[in-house]
Amino acid sequence: MMIRQAAKKALGITSRQSTPCSVGIFRSYHENVIDHYDNPRNVGSFDKNDPTVGTGLVGAPACGDVMKLQIKVDEKTGQIIDARFKTFGCGSAIASSSVATEWVKGKAMEEVLTIKNTEIAKHLSLPPVKLHCSMLAEDAIKAAVKDYKEKRVKTNGA
Amino acid sequence: MNKTKKLVASISTLLTRRRISHPSSSSLRCNPLATIASNSQTDLNPVKPLAVSIRRLQFSGRAFSSESSDKRSSSVCCWNCGFSSEKAAFLFCDSCRSIQPVDDSVDYFQIFGLEKKYELEGGSLEGKYKDWQKKLHPDLVHNKSQKERDYAADQSAKVTEACRTLTKRLSRAMYKMKLNGKNINEEETVTDPTLLMEMMELREAIAEADDSKELNQIQSQVQENLKQWSDSFADNFESQRFDEAVKCIRRMTYYEKACEEIVKKL
Repeated sequence: MMIRQAAKKALGITSRQSTPCSVGIFRSYHENVIDHYDNPRNVGSFDKNDPTVGTGLVGAPACGDVMKLQIKVDEKTGQIIDARFKTFGCGSAIASSSVATEWVKGKAMEEVLTIKNTEIAKHLSLPPVKLHCSMLAEDAIKAAVKDYKEKRVKTNGA
Repeated sequence: MNKTKKLVASISTLLTRRRISHPSSSSLRCNPLATIASNSQTDLNPVKPLAVSIRRLQFSGRAFSSESSDKRSSSVCCWNCGFSSEKAAFLFCDSCRSIQPVDDSVDYFQIFGLEKKYELEGGSLEGKYKDWQKKLHPDLVHNKSQKERDYAADQSAKVTEACRTLTKRLSRAMYKMKLNGKNINEEETVTDPTLLMEMMELREAIAEADDSKELNQIQSQVQENLKQWSDSFADNFESQRFDEAVKCIRRMTYYEKACEEIVKKL
Protein backbone atom coordinates (compact mmCIF):
# COMPACT_ATOMS: atom_id res chain seq x y z
CA MET A 1 0.00 0.00 0.00
CA MET A 2 2.78 2.38 0.99
CA ILE A 3 4.85 1.41 -2.01
CA ARG A 4 1.91 2.10 -4.24
CA GLN A 5 1.42 5.49 -2.58
CA ALA A 6 5.08 6.26 -3.10
CA ALA A 7 4.88 5.10 -6.67
CA LYS A 8 1.82 7.20 -7.29
CA LYS A 9 3.54 10.20 -5.77
CA ALA A 10 6.54 9.65 -7.95
CA LEU A 11 4.27 9.59 -10.93
CA GLY A 12 2.72 12.85 -9.90
CA ILE A 13 -0.59 11.30 -8.99
CA THR A 14 -1.92 11.90 -5.52
CA SER A 15 -5.29 10.27 -5.20
CA ARG A 16 -7.62 7.80 -6.78
CA GLN A 17 -9.72 10.75 -7.95
CA SER A 18 -7.11 11.58 -10.52
CA THR A 19 -7.78 8.37 -12.40
CA PRO A 20 -7.71 9.20 -16.09
CA CYS A 21 -11.09 10.13 -17.45
CA SER A 22 -12.30 8.99 -20.86
CA VAL A 23 -10.57 10.40 -23.87
CA GLY A 24 -13.81 10.57 -25.80
CA ILE A 25 -17.42 9.73 -25.18
CA PHE A 26 -17.12 6.12 -26.28
CA ARG A 27 -13.39 5.65 -25.92
CA SER A 28 -11.63 4.95 -22.66
CA TYR A 29 -8.10 3.98 -21.83
CA HIS A 30 -7.06 0.55 -22.97
CA GLU A 31 -6.70 -2.04 -20.19
CA ASN A 32 -2.92 -2.12 -20.76
CA VAL A 33 -2.73 1.58 -20.05
CA ILE A 34 -4.83 1.27 -16.91
CA ASP A 35 -2.68 -1.67 -15.83
CA HIS A 36 0.50 0.39 -16.13
CA TYR A 37 -1.16 3.27 -14.35
CA ASP A 38 -2.41 1.17 -11.42
CA ASN A 39 0.61 -1.11 -11.23
CA PRO A 40 3.50 1.02 -12.34
CA ARG A 41 6.65 -0.88 -12.95
CA ASN A 42 10.14 0.51 -12.59
CA VAL A 43 9.22 3.87 -11.14
CA GLY A 44 12.15 5.65 -9.57
CA SER A 45 15.61 6.97 -10.23
CA PHE A 46 19.19 5.89 -10.45
CA ASP A 47 22.07 8.07 -9.45
CA LYS A 48 22.72 9.94 -12.64
CA ASN A 49 26.40 10.34 -11.79
CA ASP A 50 26.82 6.59 -11.77
CA PRO A 51 28.97 5.74 -14.79
CA THR A 52 26.87 2.71 -15.63
CA VAL A 53 23.71 4.82 -15.85
CA GLY A 54 22.39 6.59 -18.90
CA THR A 55 19.71 9.26 -18.40
CA GLY A 56 17.27 10.35 -21.05
CA LEU A 57 15.28 13.50 -20.30
CA VAL A 58 12.69 14.54 -22.86
CA GLY A 59 9.71 16.84 -23.04
CA ALA A 60 6.64 17.28 -25.20
CA PRO A 61 6.20 20.94 -26.16
CA ALA A 62 2.51 20.74 -26.91
CA CYS A 63 1.31 19.42 -23.57
CA GLY A 64 4.14 20.34 -21.23
CA ASP A 65 4.93 16.73 -20.30
CA VAL A 66 8.33 15.69 -18.92
CA MET A 67 9.71 12.16 -19.16
CA LYS A 68 12.86 10.80 -17.57
CA LEU A 69 14.07 7.33 -18.48
CA GLN A 70 17.22 5.83 -16.99
CA ILE A 71 19.08 2.67 -17.97
CA LYS A 72 21.68 0.72 -16.07
CA VAL A 73 24.14 -0.93 -18.41
CA ASP A 74 26.46 -3.87 -17.81
CA GLU A 75 29.79 -2.44 -18.90
CA LYS A 76 31.22 -5.77 -20.01
CA THR A 77 28.37 -7.02 -22.13
CA GLY A 78 26.74 -3.72 -23.12
CA GLN A 79 23.38 -5.12 -22.04
CA ILE A 80 20.78 -3.09 -20.20
CA ILE A 81 20.29 -4.77 -16.85
CA ASP A 82 17.81 -2.40 -15.27
CA ALA A 83 15.70 0.63 -16.05
CA ARG A 84 13.73 3.29 -14.19
CA PHE A 85 11.37 6.04 -15.27
CA LYS A 86 9.71 9.13 -13.91
CA THR A 87 7.04 10.84 -15.97
CA PHE A 88 4.87 13.88 -15.37
CA GLY A 89 2.07 13.80 -17.85
CA CYS A 90 -1.09 12.07 -18.93
CA GLY A 91 -1.92 8.39 -18.42
CA SER A 92 -0.77 7.55 -21.93
CA ALA A 93 2.62 9.16 -21.37
CA ILE A 94 3.08 7.35 -18.08
CA ALA A 95 2.11 4.01 -19.60
CA SER A 96 4.35 4.56 -22.63
CA SER A 97 7.41 5.20 -20.50
CA SER A 98 6.52 2.29 -18.22
CA VAL A 99 6.31 -0.04 -21.23
CA ALA A 100 9.61 1.34 -22.49
CA THR A 101 11.41 0.46 -19.25
CA GLU A 102 10.00 -3.04 -19.40
CA TRP A 103 11.05 -3.59 -22.98
CA VAL A 104 14.63 -2.33 -22.64
CA LYS A 105 15.51 -4.62 -19.77
CA GLY A 106 17.77 -7.50 -20.79
CA LYS A 107 18.38 -6.16 -24.27
CA ALA A 108 21.52 -4.86 -25.91
CA MET A 109 21.81 -1.13 -26.44
CA GLU A 110 21.81 -1.39 -30.20
CA GLU A 111 18.69 -3.49 -30.04
CA VAL A 112 16.69 -1.02 -27.94
CA LEU A 113 17.44 1.71 -30.44
CA THR A 114 15.20 -0.18 -32.85
CA ILE A 115 12.17 0.02 -30.57
CA LYS A 116 9.61 2.06 -32.49
CA ASN A 117 6.93 4.30 -31.07
CA THR A 118 4.39 2.53 -33.27
CA GLU A 119 5.02 -0.73 -31.41
CA ILE A 120 4.47 0.96 -28.05
CA ALA A 121 1.34 2.65 -29.38
CA LYS A 122 0.00 -0.61 -30.70
CA HIS A 123 0.65 -2.41 -27.43
CA LEU A 124 -1.30 0.26 -25.57
CA SER A 125 -3.90 0.84 -28.30
CA LEU A 126 -3.20 4.54 -28.13
CA PRO A 127 -5.64 6.78 -30.01
CA PRO A 128 -4.19 9.11 -32.67
CA VAL A 129 -4.28 12.12 -30.36
CA LYS A 130 -1.92 10.31 -27.93
CA LEU A 131 0.59 8.98 -30.44
CA HIS A 132 3.04 11.70 -29.48
CA CYS A 133 3.32 10.08 -26.03
CA SER A 134 4.74 6.91 -27.54
CA MET A 135 7.05 9.04 -29.68
CA LEU A 136 8.27 10.69 -26.51
CA ALA A 137 9.04 7.26 -24.99
CA GLU A 138 11.02 6.25 -28.08
CA ASP A 139 12.96 9.52 -27.88
CA ALA A 140 13.59 8.93 -24.17
CA ILE A 141 15.13 5.51 -24.86
CA LYS A 142 17.39 6.98 -27.53
CA ALA A 143 18.37 9.87 -25.27
CA ALA A 144 19.28 7.48 -22.43
CA VAL A 145 21.48 5.35 -24.68
CA LYS A 146 23.12 8.46 -26.13
CA ASP A 147 23.82 9.81 -22.66
CA TYR A 148 25.42 6.55 -21.55
CA LYS A 149 27.62 6.39 -24.63
CA GLU A 150 28.74 9.99 -24.18
CA LYS A 151 29.62 9.30 -20.56
CA ARG A 152 31.66 6.30 -21.60
CA VAL A 153 33.59 8.36 -24.12
CA LYS A 154 34.32 10.95 -21.44
CA THR A 155 35.51 8.42 -18.86
CA ASN A 156 37.59 6.57 -21.43
CA GLY A 157 39.02 9.78 -22.79
CA ALA A 158 39.86 11.13 -19.34
CA MET B 1 -16.09 37.51 -57.18
CA ASN B 2 -18.02 36.62 -54.06
CA LYS B 3 -18.53 40.28 -53.30
CA THR B 4 -19.90 41.01 -56.76
CA LYS B 5 -22.35 38.15 -56.37
CA LYS B 6 -23.54 39.67 -53.12
CA LEU B 7 -23.86 43.03 -54.81
CA VAL B 8 -25.94 41.61 -57.62
CA ALA B 9 -28.17 39.95 -55.09
CA SER B 10 -28.83 43.20 -53.33
CA ILE B 11 -29.45 45.14 -56.55
CA SER B 12 -33.18 45.35 -56.00
CA THR B 13 -32.76 47.03 -52.62
CA LEU B 14 -30.12 49.33 -54.03
CA LEU B 15 -32.30 50.39 -56.92
CA THR B 16 -34.83 51.76 -54.51
CA ARG B 17 -32.16 53.78 -52.71
CA ARG B 18 -29.94 54.89 -55.56
CA ARG B 19 -27.25 57.39 -54.69
CA ILE B 20 -25.29 57.71 -57.86
CA SER B 21 -24.42 61.39 -57.89
CA HIS B 22 -21.36 61.44 -55.62
CA PRO B 23 -20.25 57.95 -54.70
CA SER B 24 -17.84 58.01 -51.73
CA SER B 25 -14.75 55.81 -51.91
CA SER B 26 -16.24 53.12 -49.66
CA SER B 27 -19.62 52.94 -51.30
CA LEU B 28 -18.09 52.93 -54.75
CA ARG B 29 -17.93 49.14 -54.53
CA CYS B 30 -21.67 48.94 -53.94
CA ASN B 31 -23.07 51.49 -56.27
CA PRO B 32 -21.36 51.05 -59.62
CA LEU B 33 -22.94 47.67 -60.17
CA ALA B 34 -26.29 49.20 -59.31
CA THR B 35 -25.53 51.77 -61.94
CA ILE B 36 -24.81 48.99 -64.41
CA ALA B 37 -27.95 47.09 -63.48
CA SER B 38 -30.18 50.12 -63.57
CA ASN B 39 -28.63 51.18 -66.83
CA SER B 40 -29.24 47.79 -68.38
CA GLN B 41 -32.79 47.78 -67.14
CA THR B 42 -33.85 51.31 -67.96
CA ASP B 43 -31.72 52.25 -70.97
CA LEU B 44 -31.84 50.54 -74.29
CA ASN B 45 -28.26 51.21 -75.26
CA PRO B 46 -26.37 50.30 -72.15
CA VAL B 47 -23.07 49.47 -73.83
CA LYS B 48 -21.24 52.78 -73.53
CA PRO B 49 -22.26 53.67 -69.96
CA LEU B 50 -21.83 50.01 -69.04
CA ALA B 51 -18.25 50.00 -70.32
CA VAL B 52 -17.50 53.20 -68.42
CA SER B 53 -19.05 51.82 -65.26
CA ILE B 54 -17.16 48.56 -65.56
CA ARG B 55 -13.93 50.45 -66.05
CA ARG B 56 -14.75 52.53 -62.98
CA LEU B 57 -15.51 49.37 -61.01
CA GLN B 58 -12.29 47.73 -62.18
CA PHE B 59 -10.34 50.83 -61.27
CA SER B 60 -11.88 51.01 -57.86
CA GLY B 61 -11.27 47.29 -57.41
CA ARG B 62 -7.59 47.75 -58.21
CA ALA B 63 -7.36 50.73 -55.90
CA PHE B 64 -8.73 48.66 -53.07
CA SER B 65 -6.56 45.63 -53.66
CA SER B 66 -3.43 47.74 -53.47
CA GLU B 67 -4.31 48.80 -49.94
CA SER B 68 -3.53 46.73 -46.87
CA SER B 69 -5.71 43.83 -45.85
CA ASP B 70 -7.12 45.91 -42.99
CA LYS B 71 -8.61 48.31 -45.50
CA ARG B 72 -9.97 45.49 -47.65
CA SER B 73 -12.35 44.42 -44.91
CA SER B 74 -13.52 48.00 -44.49
CA SER B 75 -15.16 47.94 -47.90
CA VAL B 76 -17.54 45.12 -47.02
CA CYS B 77 -21.26 45.57 -47.60
CA CYS B 78 -24.11 44.13 -45.64
CA TRP B 79 -25.72 41.17 -47.43
CA ASN B 80 -29.13 42.36 -46.37
CA CYS B 81 -29.30 46.07 -46.90
CA GLY B 82 -26.11 46.86 -48.79
CA PHE B 83 -24.94 49.27 -46.12
CA SER B 84 -21.19 49.46 -46.38
CA SER B 85 -19.10 49.56 -43.28
CA GLU B 86 -15.76 51.16 -42.55
CA LYS B 87 -15.17 48.94 -39.56
CA ALA B 88 -12.32 46.45 -39.60
CA ALA B 89 -14.49 43.76 -38.03
CA PHE B 90 -17.88 43.89 -39.68
CA LEU B 91 -19.78 41.24 -37.77
CA PHE B 92 -23.08 42.98 -37.31
CA CYS B 93 -24.85 45.58 -39.43
CA ASP B 94 -26.08 48.44 -37.24
CA SER B 95 -28.19 49.76 -40.07
CA CYS B 96 -30.54 46.80 -40.54
CA ARG B 97 -29.49 44.84 -37.43
CA SER B 98 -28.53 41.71 -39.29
CA ILE B 99 -25.65 39.40 -38.49
CA GLN B 100 -22.98 39.06 -41.11
CA PRO B 101 -21.27 35.87 -42.27
CA VAL B 102 -17.87 35.08 -40.82
CA ASP B 103 -15.02 36.77 -42.66
CA ASP B 104 -11.85 34.74 -42.19
CA SER B 105 -9.64 37.71 -42.89
CA VAL B 106 -10.83 39.37 -39.70
CA ASP B 107 -8.49 38.44 -36.89
CA TYR B 108 -9.14 38.32 -33.16
CA PHE B 109 -7.49 41.66 -32.44
CA GLN B 110 -9.76 43.38 -34.92
CA ILE B 111 -12.88 41.86 -33.35
CA PHE B 112 -12.06 43.57 -30.07
CA GLY B 113 -10.81 46.71 -31.72
CA LEU B 114 -7.33 46.23 -30.33
CA GLU B 115 -3.98 47.00 -31.81
CA LYS B 116 -2.09 43.94 -32.90
CA LYS B 117 0.27 44.20 -29.97
CA TYR B 118 1.11 41.42 -27.57
CA GLU B 119 0.59 43.56 -24.46
CA LEU B 120 -3.06 44.13 -23.63
CA GLU B 121 -4.72 46.50 -21.23
CA GLY B 122 -6.58 44.37 -18.76
CA GLY B 123 -10.34 44.43 -18.40
CA SER B 124 -11.37 45.76 -21.77
CA LEU B 125 -11.88 42.32 -23.29
CA GLU B 126 -14.68 41.17 -21.01
CA GLY B 127 -16.88 44.22 -21.65
CA LYS B 128 -16.47 44.11 -25.40
CA TYR B 129 -17.09 40.35 -25.40
CA LYS B 130 -20.43 40.83 -23.65
CA ASP B 131 -21.39 43.62 -26.03
CA TRP B 132 -20.73 41.41 -29.03
CA GLN B 133 -22.64 38.48 -27.60
CA LYS B 134 -25.66 40.71 -26.98
CA LYS B 135 -25.77 41.22 -30.72
CA LEU B 136 -24.54 37.90 -32.04
CA HIS B 137 -25.61 35.14 -29.71
CA PRO B 138 -27.73 32.42 -31.38
CA ASP B 139 -30.23 32.47 -28.50
CA LEU B 140 -31.20 36.00 -29.41
CA VAL B 141 -31.99 35.41 -33.06
CA HIS B 142 -35.01 33.09 -32.97
CA ASN B 143 -37.04 35.39 -35.19
CA LYS B 144 -34.48 35.55 -37.93
CA SER B 145 -33.96 33.40 -41.00
CA GLN B 146 -32.11 30.08 -40.88
CA LYS B 147 -29.26 31.62 -42.81
CA GLU B 148 -28.86 34.37 -40.26
CA ARG B 149 -29.12 31.97 -37.37
CA ASP B 150 -26.26 30.00 -38.91
CA TYR B 151 -24.24 33.20 -39.21
CA ALA B 152 -25.01 33.92 -35.55
CA ALA B 153 -23.76 30.51 -34.46
CA ASP B 154 -20.51 30.92 -36.42
CA GLN B 155 -19.86 34.50 -35.38
CA SER B 156 -20.66 33.88 -31.75
CA ALA B 157 -18.29 30.89 -31.68
CA LYS B 158 -15.56 32.95 -33.31
CA VAL B 159 -15.94 35.77 -30.81
CA THR B 160 -15.82 33.31 -27.91
CA GLU B 161 -12.70 31.71 -29.34
CA ALA B 162 -11.17 35.14 -29.86
CA CYS B 163 -11.83 36.15 -26.26
CA ARG B 164 -10.41 32.90 -24.94
CA THR B 165 -7.30 33.15 -27.08
CA LEU B 166 -6.54 36.74 -26.22
CA THR B 167 -7.23 36.48 -22.49
CA LYS B 168 -4.46 34.01 -21.68
CA ARG B 169 -0.91 35.17 -22.25
CA LEU B 170 0.33 31.91 -23.68
CA SER B 171 -2.45 31.48 -26.24
CA ARG B 172 -2.11 35.15 -27.18
CA ALA B 173 1.58 34.67 -27.79
CA MET B 174 0.98 31.61 -29.94
CA TYR B 175 -1.73 33.42 -31.88
CA LYS B 176 0.56 36.37 -32.56
CA MET B 177 3.19 34.01 -33.91
CA LYS B 178 0.59 32.34 -36.09
CA LEU B 179 -0.58 35.70 -37.46
CA ASN B 180 2.97 36.39 -38.46
CA GLY B 181 3.14 33.10 -40.29
CA LYS B 182 5.50 31.55 -37.76
CA ASN B 183 3.85 28.27 -36.89
CA ILE B 184 5.31 26.56 -33.88
CA ASN B 185 6.24 22.94 -34.44
CA GLU B 186 4.51 21.14 -31.62
CA GLU B 187 5.58 17.65 -32.64
CA GLU B 188 9.28 18.07 -32.05
CA THR B 189 10.53 16.61 -28.77
CA VAL B 190 12.17 19.04 -26.40
CA THR B 191 15.64 17.98 -25.36
CA ASP B 192 17.03 21.08 -23.68
CA PRO B 193 18.48 19.59 -20.48
CA THR B 194 18.41 22.74 -18.35
CA LEU B 195 14.81 23.49 -19.15
CA LEU B 196 13.71 19.91 -18.59
CA MET B 197 15.65 19.52 -15.33
CA GLU B 198 14.03 22.67 -14.01
CA MET B 199 10.58 21.47 -15.01
CA MET B 200 11.20 18.03 -13.56
CA GLU B 201 12.23 19.54 -10.24
CA LEU B 202 9.24 21.89 -10.32
CA ARG B 203 6.80 19.08 -10.93
CA GLU B 204 8.44 16.99 -8.21
CA ALA B 205 8.13 19.87 -5.80
CA ILE B 206 4.45 20.20 -6.65
CA ALA B 207 3.91 16.48 -6.19
CA GLU B 208 5.68 16.47 -2.84
CA ALA B 209 4.09 19.65 -1.48
CA ASP B 210 1.83 18.71 1.39
CA ASP B 211 -0.14 21.79 2.34
CA SER B 212 -1.84 24.54 0.43
CA LYS B 213 0.55 27.15 1.83
CA GLU B 214 3.47 25.47 0.13
CA LEU B 215 1.48 25.07 -3.06
CA ASN B 216 0.48 28.71 -3.07
CA GLN B 217 4.11 29.64 -2.64
CA ILE B 218 5.13 27.56 -5.59
CA GLN B 219 2.23 28.96 -7.58
CA SER B 220 3.23 32.56 -7.03
CA GLN B 221 6.77 31.68 -8.00
CA VAL B 222 5.56 30.10 -11.21
CA GLN B 223 3.28 33.06 -11.96
CA GLU B 224 6.26 35.33 -11.57
CA ASN B 225 8.29 33.22 -13.94
CA LEU B 226 5.41 33.26 -16.42
CA LYS B 227 5.30 37.05 -16.31
CA GLN B 228 9.04 37.24 -16.79
CA TRP B 229 9.03 34.97 -19.80
CA SER B 230 5.96 36.66 -21.17
CA ASP B 231 7.82 39.97 -21.15
CA SER B 232 10.80 38.24 -22.70
CA PHE B 233 8.54 36.94 -25.44
CA ALA B 234 7.21 40.41 -26.17
CA ASP B 235 10.72 41.73 -26.37
CA ASN B 236 11.95 38.97 -28.68
CA PHE B 237 8.89 39.22 -30.86
CA GLU B 238 9.24 42.95 -31.35
CA SER B 239 12.89 42.51 -32.25
CA GLN B 240 11.96 39.70 -34.65
CA ARG B 241 14.06 37.17 -32.76
CA PHE B 242 11.54 34.45 -33.52
CA ASP B 243 13.64 31.47 -32.43
CA GLU B 244 14.04 33.03 -29.02
CA ALA B 245 10.35 33.82 -29.01
CA VAL B 246 9.54 30.16 -29.60
CA LYS B 247 11.76 29.21 -26.67
CA CYS B 248 9.84 31.66 -24.49
CA ILE B 249 6.57 30.09 -25.58
CA ARG B 250 7.93 26.64 -24.73
CA ARG B 251 8.80 27.73 -21.22
CA MET B 252 5.46 29.40 -20.79
CA THR B 253 3.73 26.16 -21.84
CA TYR B 254 5.56 24.28 -19.12
CA TYR B 255 4.81 26.86 -16.49
CA GLU B 256 1.15 26.90 -17.44
CA LYS B 257 1.04 23.13 -17.15
CA ALA B 258 2.63 23.36 -13.71
CA CYS B 259 0.01 25.93 -12.69
CA GLU B 260 -2.74 23.59 -13.81
CA GLU B 261 -1.27 20.82 -11.68
CA ILE B 262 -1.14 23.11 -8.66
CA VAL B 263 -4.74 24.14 -9.15
CA LYS B 264 -5.76 20.51 -9.38
CA LYS B 265 -4.03 19.77 -6.13
CA LEU B 266 -5.39 22.75 -4.25
